[in-house]
Amino acid sequence: MIEFHLDPRSGVAPYLQIVQQVKEALRLGLLDVGDQLPTVREVVAELAINPNTVAKAYRELETGGLVEAQPGRGTFITGTLVAPSQKHHEALRRELERWLESAESAGLDEESIRAVISTTLREAFVRRVA
Amino acid sequence: MTAPLVMRGVGKRYRRRWALRDCTLAIPERAIVGLAGANGAGKSTLLGLTVGLLAPTEGSLEVLGRDPRLEPEVLAGVGFVAREAPLYRSFTVGDTIRFARATNPGWDASVAGEFLTRLSAGDRVSALTAGERSRLALAVALGKRPRLVLLDEPFERLDPLAAREFLQLLMDGVSELEATVVIASHVIADIERVSDHIVLLGDGQVRLEGSAEELISTHRLLTGAARPLGRIAGVEEIVRKRSSGRQMTLLVRIDGRVVDPSWSVDEIGLEDLLLAYMAPERLPGPEAPEKGRLRWHG
Amino acid sequence: MAWVTWRQHRHQLLIGLALIVALALAALVTGLPMQTAYEREALSSCLPPAARSGCDIIVRHFQSEYGGRVDVAGYLILLPALVGMFIGAPLLARELEHGTHRFAWTQSLTRRRWLLSKTLLLALAVTLGAVILSAIVMWWRHPFDGLEGRMSPGGFEIQGVVVPAYALFALSLGVLAGAALRRSLAAMSLTLAVFVAVRLAVAELLRPRYRSPEHETMAGLVPGAHARDWVLSNSLVDAVGRHITSAREDLAILHAQQARIDPQEYLLSLGWRRALSFQPADRFWTFQLIEAGIFVALAAALLAVTVWFVRRSPS
Repeated sequence: MIEFHLDPRSGVAPYLQIVQQVKEALRLGLLDVGDQLPTVREVVAELAINPNTVAKAYRELETGGLVEAQPGRGTFITGTLVAPSQKHHEALRRELERWLESAESAGLDEESIRAVISTTLREAFVRRVA
Repeated sequence: MTAPLVMRGVGKRYRRRWALRDCTLAIPERAIVGLAGANGAGKSTLLGLTVGLLAPTEGSLEVLGRDPRLEPEVLAGVGFVAREAPLYRSFTVGDTIRFARATNPGWDASVAGEFLTRLSAGDRVSALTAGERSRLALAVALGKRPRLVLLDEPFERLDPLAAREFLQLLMDGVSELEATVVIASHVIADIERVSDHIVLLGDGQVRLEGSAEELISTHRLLTGAARPLGRIAGVEEIVRKRSSGRQMTLLVRIDGRVVDPSWSVDEIGLEDLLLAYMAPERLPGPEAPEKGRLRWHG
Repeated sequence: MAWVTWRQHRHQLLIGLALIVALALAALVTGLPMQTAYEREALSSCLPPAARSGCDIIVRHFQSEYGGRVDVAGYLILLPALVGMFIGAPLLARELEHGTHRFAWTQSLTRRRWLLSKTLLLALAVTLGAVILSAIVMWWRHPFDGLEGRMSPGGFEIQGVVVPAYALFALSLGVLAGAALRRSLAAMSLTLAVFVAVRLAVAELLRPRYRSPEHETMAGLVPGAHARDWVLSNSLVDAVGRHITSAREDLAILHAQQARIDPQEYLLSLGWRRALSFQPADRFWTFQLIEAGIFVALAAALLAVTVWFVRRSPS
């Protein structure tokens, strides 16, 4: 069974960390369809975090079609994650490099570029979650 | 769905000093509330009022829908661990549990038992470590299957290991009981890990109240050149202001996006946000290399 | 709450038990010789107002032999005060002093039930102990009760139903003191002071008036006629009923002695009489019940005040 860990200083919301760790495990093949996730109580007793946080993470995974909560039995993996193909990776990276060139020509230094990227990233995912 | 704890204009005065004034709040069911504030801010008073040990000088409060002074039977649903986890020191662990069983008809030995591992019934309370005493007090508080759990500075005497163990047990118990929890602590970091709702007290008044997520998402740190302040687009209120030389840092509450290019906009972490509301001088300065890094505690 | 009360007060109750056992043994050791002497000398036939020849000497001998220990027994009046100080006062004071009331009063039991259960259970134990003690004293003091009566404070206050009543009053007083002062030592002191004050007040001001005293005027002193009654006042009055001061009495006796007349006959010739105000011995149980009633009522009232006080006070 997967074991979660929490990094309070990572800047990522705890429930999102759990979601990410499940997705990571799926990608790496550590979790498969039919596997059971630890119960909310088990996670909470191990990590000493808010049970609502765990519940929220599991709900999000369920909305994403990756898990299914079976009342009285537990939460089970029902979906898989497709590893993004190498082809997409290459195309996206080249597009990013082109954008970086534009940003540098516009006069942004590394710090400013990082700031723009992280702000935009954050707001994009917030919109998606909301 | 009754809010487990509701206060309306509650005030408590001791002779001439108001320990708590004008306190109005409603905590949501099944929330884990961090009751923050410096020593003397009124946290213990607030908890004392909730549990009926104190009577309000003004205002009214409802615990699980009832007034704890008029209907003290409601305390059967409230688990309370007072500051320094008071227990009868001449009692043994077994005596303490027996006492809890005798004074709580709804006692569930299996719930209590989970907190008593590595303790034997013959151990005298006075011989237990601080961590073990806290666990025992928690066992008594949760063994009655309460719907509302109140803890006053539970980590005060605990070393980090004991504190983590205590928190694990607490969260596990709370999860099973589906209870609402209020943890009072003057060390914000202690409660930051688990709180999804915050009540910040300062000098007996509620300075801040709301869900942790909402508080973080509605505040920003603005850094920029010192200047006379006018309206800034997206800013609802400037909460704190600090100037040093040519630089000015503002803690603001926003009602939209702040797109003013003359200000560098950062999120603020919960601990720093609460500290800022507690004491203006503690406003965090601009972060050097990690600018733009998210600090999210939810 | 029975177990809780026992667990929190077992030391006090066990010490109390040990005390009763010790007193019982002391009563046995000091009382048996007294009882056997009583039987042997057939003192029952010498009880006033009987006047068998030789009784006078036997009685005086008996009184000088055993009177000392009977006087010592008078200290038993302190025992109820100890109940108040060591069982009553710490009940609330200790909880408040140590902050454990924040533990005890936040369980499912209301403060009122907690206090009442504890106090009533302790009251039961205290009453039992006091009744046993009273019975022991009544057995032990029987000979002297016959000779000197038990209406005077020395005999009245250590036997009968007043003993448990005093103990209950002391208990309630201690509990209230603990609630009000919140400190064990201070509460103990206050309990002792108030207990003594109230007991004295009742003994001096109320008890003589439970029923109107009887009056009797007589020529000279009749030994033994009122040996068992409680004599409230014994004075010399003239033929009209006016009180004669001791100065005048001394003067008259001096006069008689100078004239070589028997002083008592001289006083009689002046028309002076002895006026006695007393409570007869057969009123013992009436007075016991009245006084016990007063103290039990006080105990109940104090307990009610304590419950009210505890319910409304901030911690």
